[in-house]
Amino acid sequence: MEERGTPLVEMRNIHKWFGKVHAVNGVNFKIWPGEVVGLVGDNGAGKSTLIKILTGYHRADEGEIFFEGKKVRINSPRDARKLKIETVYQERALVDLIDIMRNVFLGREPTNRLGFLNKKLMKEKSLSILKDMGLSIKDPDVEVRFLSGGEKQGVAIARAIHFKAKLVILDEPTIALSVKEVKKVLDFVRKIKKQGVAVIFITHNLYHVYPIADRFYVMARGKIVKEFKKGEATIEELAEAIAAA
Amino acid sequence: MKSSAASKISYAFTKSLYCREFGIFLILILLSILFYFTSRDHSFVSQTNVETMLKIGPEIGIIAIGVTMLMIAGEFDLSVGSMLGFSALVMCWLYSKFNLNLPLAFFITLCVGAFMGALNGLITVKFGIPSFITTLGTMMWWRGMIFVISAGFPTIFRPEKTNPLFKFILVGSIGGIPLQFIWFVVFTVILTLLLNYHKFGNHVFATGGNKEAARAMGVNTDLTKIICFIIVGILSAFCGVMQSTRARGAYALQGTGAEMQAIAATVIGGTSLFGGSGTIIGTFLGSLVLEVISSGLLTSGVSGYWFNAVVGITVIAIVIMNIKLEQRRIHRGKGSRV
Repeated sequence: MEERGTPLVEMRNIHKWFGKVHAVNGVNFKIWPGEVVGLVGDNGAGKSTLIKILTGYHRADEGEIFFEGKKVRINSPRDARKLKIETVYQERALVDLIDIMRNVFLGREPTNRLGFLNKKLMKEKSLSILKDMGLSIKDPDVEVRFLSGGEKQGVAIARAIHFKAKLVILDEPTIALSVKEVKKVLDFVRKIKKQGVAVIFITHNLYHVYPIADRFYVMARGKIVKEFKKGEATIEELAEAIAAA
Repeated sequence: MKSSAASKISYAFTKSLYCREFGIFLILILLSILFYFTSRDHSFVSQTNVETMLKIGPEIGIIAIGVTMLMIAGEFDLSVGSMLGFSALVMCWLYSKFNLNLPLAFFITLCVGAFMGALNGLITVKFGIPSFITTLGTMMWWRGMIFVISAGFPTIFRPEKTNPLFKFILVGSIGGIPLQFIWFVVFTVILTLLLNYHKFGNHVFATGGNKEAARAMGVNTDLTKIICFIIVGILSAFCGVMQSTRARGAYALQGTGAEMQAIAATVIGGTSLFGGSGTIIGTFLGSLVLEVISSGLLTSGVSGYWFNAVVGITVIAIVIMNIKLEQRRIHRGKGSRV
């Protein structure tokens, strides 16, 4: 990966305390456009907290965030979205009880001047978005709860891409998925990368992230303890680093 | 892919069973037929009785459809009866004691309703306490204020003395159809449009269905809830004025129990107690079911004291029916959400 030019996102010396717990301890993190970064580490290592700072759910107690070289303040999920940072959370991605197209356009509904939904446009666009992602869903007005786990991830990722995300954050996207479904999600990630979008792939399952990531950060106890490029370490060495941390 | 084929089949199945409202409609018809036979001289379907039902049913029904929207957003309102009573008192005082003109008094009363709703919403959202508790508190507070202000005495309200049109608009009738019912239909249409065809409705469903997902997508879930509380407040005030116009006064105990009836109508209509799903039309039918039971018992010579008991059983029976239907709908064992 060419690490020249300005990083898409740079987080500098980020700290976060929850009471006495130092959840994130002086983390420096960079990602370039079109790069897939695996953020790995055991449960409770601080991965999620770090990402929640980037996506506006938590505010860092110390540290700075730069987006395309400019210092930014991300105080809410809305701010993150304005910067074209999209997050696909495991449980929080979609609303199960409403249909796919309503989910795809949630918070960004195409409407007429009075705010009424343009359902025809929602339906057509949803169909083409799903098709682009290789999802064989013919009926975008089916409720999301009827989809499989992999399909749900696909819809959430497709939505992020459709809204021209520059950075997509996948929080444990393969957790609780079947082997077949995991493969699908990895295919989604490859598709995003091809479009020049950067991806942060958070997981504690190395075997899922290793084939697709260009670079890895290993986190433990709130710190980044190791940074590898793909060629620099085998999967065994990476696993060792996590276990040793 | 196999699972997507399965989801398609289950979806087709859902669609065929989709009309949960149809079941309630059927119950409404069956109850009406039952009461047709049990009522003395078939008085249940007499013009007077039908008109009475269409006059009184909407007084809870209009509130219930607001409560439905709020429950879809994941919140409760136990204070609707007290808000109804307090608004009625405000209206009657503004008119009878302060001699304000009717349109202005009505407008102020609706604003008071909006304020009470906003208060429920703000307290719930800003302090993060369950709306069950917030509105339990405001229920007692506003009922208390009614007694403090009125000392328990009724306030007479005769708007027709200065403005017969006002009375006609709220409680008159057109071609034998009471205006209360016409208002009920109008509000049902407006709220249905808002809930199912407007982006606000999408935010309501998302807020109640998965608040974190909605937030992550940039939906202001707090504001969405507050607006729902305000709508309930305004509708309660509207019903308070409507009821006082019919009953010619404001009474200290006016609206007592309305909260439970509104929730009953909503639940009968198939709205989930956990938020995220429900329909306005279901509640529309649900409140008609309540009114039919009440009036049917009365015309059948059953003591009015039976009303609550029968409603209680009906609510449980219909919710069980909804759960069974829902399980068949899902038929992938994900449990029900009624």
